[in-house]
Amino acid sequence: MIHSLFLINSSGDIFLEKHWKSVVSRSVCDYFFEAQERATEAENVPPVIPTPHHYLLSVYRHKIFFVAVIQTEVPPLFVIEFLHRVVDTFQDYFGVCSEPVIKDNVVVVYEVLEEMLDNGFPLATESNILKELIKPPTILRTVVNTITGSTNVGEQLPTGQLSVVPWRRTGVKYTNNEAYFDVIEEIDAIIDKSGSTVTAEIQGVIDACVKLTGMPDLTLSFMNPRLLDDVSFHPCVRFKRWESERILSFIPPDGNFRLLSYHVSAQNLVAIPVYVKHSISFRDSSSLGRFEITVGPKQTMGKTIEGVTVLSQMPRGVLNMSLTPSQGTHTFDPVTKMLSWDVGKINPQKLPSLKGTMSLQAGASKPDENPTINLQFKIQQLAISGLKVNRLDMYGEKYKPFKGIKYMTKAGKFQVRT
Amino acid sequence: MPYFGSEDVVKELKKALCNPHIQADRLRYRNVIQRVIRHMTQGLDMSGVFMEMVKASATVDIVQKKLVYLYMCTYAPLKPDLALLAINTLCKDCSDPNPMVRGLALRSMCSLRLPGVQEYIQQPILSGLRDKASYVRRVAVLGCAKMHNLHGDSEVDGALVHELYSLLRDQDPIVVVNCLRSLEEILKHEGGVVINKPIAHHLLNRFGCLIPNEEELFDILNLLDSFLKSSSPGVVIGATKLFLILAKKFPHVQTDVLVRVKGPLLAACSSESRELCFVALCHVRQILHSLPGHFSSHYKKFFCSYWEPHYIKLQKVEVLCELVNDENVQQVLEELRGYCTDVSVDFAQASIFAIGNIARTYTDQCVQILTELLGLRQEHITTVVVQTFRDLVWLCPQCTEAVCQALPGCEENIQDNEGRQALIWILGNHEEGIPNAPYVLEDFAENAKSETFPAVKMELLTALLRLFLSRPAECQDMLGRLLYYCIEEEKDMAVRDRGLFYYRLLLLGIDDVKRILCSPKSDPSLGLLEDQPERPVNSWASDFNTLVPVYGKAHWATIFKHQGTDHCGPELPHTNFSYARQLISEENKERVQELPDSEALMLIPNCQFTAEYFEKTWLSLEVAHQQILPWQGEVHPDTLQMALQVVNIQTIAMSRVGAQPWKAYLSAQDATGCLFLTELLLEPGNSKMQISVKQSETRTEILSRFISVLETVIGTIGDMKS
Repeated sequence: MIHSLFLINSSGDIFLEKHWKSVVSRSVCDYFFEAQERATEAENVPPVIPTPHHYLLSVYRHKIFFVAVIQTEVPPLFVIEFLHRVVDTFQDYFGVCSEPVIKDNVVVVYEVLEEMLDNGFPLATESNILKELIKPPTILRTVVNTITGSTNVGEQLPTGQLSVVPWRRTGVKYTNNEAYFDVIEEIDAIIDKSGSTVTAEIQGVIDACVKLTGMPDLTLSFMNPRLLDDVSFHPCVRFKRWESERILSFIPPDGNFRLLSYHVSAQNLVAIPVYVKHSISFRDSSSLGRFEITVGPKQTMGKTIEGVTVLSQMPRGVLNMSLTPSQGTHTFDPVTKMLSWDVGKINPQKLPSLKGTMSLQAGASKPDENPTINLQFKIQQLAISGLKVNRLDMYGEKYKPFKGIKYMTKAGKFQVRT
Repeated sequence: MPYFGSEDVVKELKKALCNPHIQADRLRYRNVIQRVIRHMTQGLDMSGVFMEMVKASATVDIVQKKLVYLYMCTYAPLKPDLALLAINTLCKDCSDPNPMVRGLALRSMCSLRLPGVQEYIQQPILSGLRDKASYVRRVAVLGCAKMHNLHGDSEVDGALVHELYSLLRDQDPIVVVNCLRSLEEILKHEGGVVINKPIAHHLLNRFGCLIPNEEELFDILNLLDSFLKSSSPGVVIGATKLFLILAKKFPHVQTDVLVRVKGPLLAACSSESRELCFVALCHVRQILHSLPGHFSSHYKKFFCSYWEPHYIKLQKVEVLCELVNDENVQQVLEELRGYCTDVSVDFAQASIFAIGNIARTYTDQCVQILTELLGLRQEHITTVVVQTFRDLVWLCPQCTEAVCQALPGCEENIQDNEGRQALIWILGNHEEGIPNAPYVLEDFAENAKSETFPAVKMELLTALLRLFLSRPAECQDMLGRLLYYCIEEEKDMAVRDRGLFYYRLLLLGIDDVKRILCSPKSDPSLGLLEDQPERPVNSWASDFNTLVPVYGKAHWATIFKHQGTDHCGPELPHTNFSYARQLISEENKERVQELPDSEALMLIPNCQFTAEYFEKTWLSLEVAHQQILPWQGEVHPDTLQMALQVVNIQTIAMSRVGAQPWKAYLSAQDATGCLFLTELLLEPGNSKMQISVKQSETRTEILSRFISVLETVIGTIGDMKS
């Protein structure tokens, strides 16, 4: 399936290659570079590139292209998901996934890749189990290793590989038994000029961090499970019970994992927590344009909106902008024409605004399209869909675990057209 | 690709690796090895230190072992003789008490890719398959596939395959999955893994629940139902494909499945990973080919947001085009109108073409939007709009008037080749709606000298000639000058020929010109052709969840062709020629030998007969020759057909294998048009084949040549079988 993997940075250097089935010359990447050149921006490189003898499937994350070389027909989603899993694993191992980090840990990277895939087929992809095969580097361990000369490789095979529950190892022990659940919702929305919603949907996930001794069997129930439109589960969830009782019943993996992801897309249900008031005008005659935007809260159920940033790609005709924000800081890059405004918290009494003028290229005709505003924000302790966890019970073990649930709402692809 | 200066590095590393002081210090030794690996991954040729690295593999340090194995797998094909030295160490490691070491050694050994390594790895693989650690079994199972690849595709080791089949009952799921994949690869030429009922039941049971004895399709579907809700889009799409194929005979079940999978698929279309989105969108388009209205109520999901990469936007616009219906057309068009002024030229143009597509059904609204776009006077927009108009007036003649009114003035904003061609075409064909058409064309004709694209000049010639027919007074002079220029000065052959052709045509008289040039101005019946009929789900079900929806079948076909030639090339010396290929090459040789003395008989390669025509001719002719040839046993139709094809004899019809009596009808035609119709007849229990040949012209000399060719082919196949 996957013949080889090339890691390419955004300046087009291959800084790591790994071959599984046969050694494919790195000249195959020339086709990729061609596509990269044609795409001008890294994000626009197509994920599947046909070449005379191979297919190149790539994902672009953390400014690195992960390019898989394929020689036979293959389910493309499988390859792409696998590549994402590789990135996730690196991130899990090293904290960040960047070129210098990968170069520094090249030995661990190779070990991990070797364990993840053999002959082009996935071998071990659960980071739980990988971490037992190859211990992730920590500062302490690096120091100890240098002194004692010992290694990162686990002395024993992970027992989880033989347990009845493939995602959980046997014999887990903790002194503090804890189970944390984070309900995180992202709003994807397009708001049109007049402030009405073009499309809006909520993508939610429940991420869990479970550190419990033994083989606990958990049940999680919701106050309003009918809200969830389109749900997909971690393999540990018993699907039959969800179908019949709308209850999540599962033996959790050890450590961090994504319990479920869901969508809420019925439009009337999606509350939009933020509004943007804008007046952006270019005049045909003069070389000056007016620019003013104000951000304010709307349907936030009394919670504060934090971490607000506004990004906007200005038309090519804009030479420079002179703006004054009522709060936060802003920058305008005259080369890329990107305006960014770091707003911070929104105070409902005193709404943040950004006002000023734009200087336009003299003589150029007025731009056809007003810029689009991309918004980022966070709301703590609120799931905007109204989803609430009712209770969490544990069976199968005697001790009393500590349980915690956190809610958060974020902007996903949230854009306002002006 | 050794970089300049790598020799020094190799020399230095070699010295370090040989240094006994370093060898004694575990940490320093490992560091040197790491440096070797690092240089290797950066593309430096490190094969010079192979010997030293092999020595370094004899260590208890497992990381060092891994690194050395990695090195060996990369360079073993370059240094096959030295690599054999390493095998000893690897074999020893295969019986190490630590399962990780065993697995690692086995994996590396199978990845060495040396000629002749098979004999060393066979034993370790077999013992690996029975290892008590599942980790080793996983590796060993895949090792079987690797070993098979090393052998070349020649023989399939029956015992090994049997062993693998029994491992399908292993308790470790990954062993089972890898086992299936290995078998699939090993048995590729026999059509992949054979799944009989017990195996299928066993595998299905591994999915989680137990099914009773019914082999009902719906039980299986119910069993796999939960996979449609998996959090991994790959699994969801995989399960969908399985469902579609299982329910081949139940179109309503297929539709149900596609309805069920709508949610997950839409979720994947708005997934965080751009790449997943892209592939999911490609699959959405595939589904839409069969169920046009399937996603219509979700059309807003396919609206593009500004920050998405182009490849996603382009897919979404395509999807939107297919989703348009009476209810959402207004919103979709408004949305598309917004994209037309996008900063990215490609995306803007794609959106305009999309509106053009929709215009085939909702003409008036779209033409209005397109007309508005012309008003922006942007070069890249105008050119595409004009191209869209050209296609539209051809397909939907009712919009001609509106288009003609919109056009005046836009010639100033068209610079590129395609756009000008389109404009000239419209001006030439629909001059009745554009009063100033001659004057616009005049400008083009004036500039013909500086025009660099021959296609534009040819279009201009045709348009001007057409215009001349309807408005001779305004065009005569201009046409004369253009023809003069094209014939006398033009360098491009095609343009000059076109000019000469028109000139001579004009000499024949105006009526002839009219007859030839005034083809229909549009053809609405083509519109029906354009609307693709709904394709049945089964036509693409087997391609679902492959790269075909992303790039189309044709592309894969060419890739595979390339690969086919590759595999026969020097890259894989072990490739054995399959039975059919051997046959072809032999036949080819024969034919080459035969050609000189059978000059009179030249069979035409691609003569195509229909069965009806054959039957008619067969009945009308008398048997010219009958002969009996010796024949043993059954006939392999494919082999026979292929062999006959090589000598340009076509097979019209053939009985099934094993049918009694077995018959085949063949036809051939020689260069002079003489037909040879042949019947092959194999009576049951008779070890003889009867050949009857009929000929359309009585020419005994050629007939005997033809029969000798036929005899050789049948003789050869008969020989090969016995």
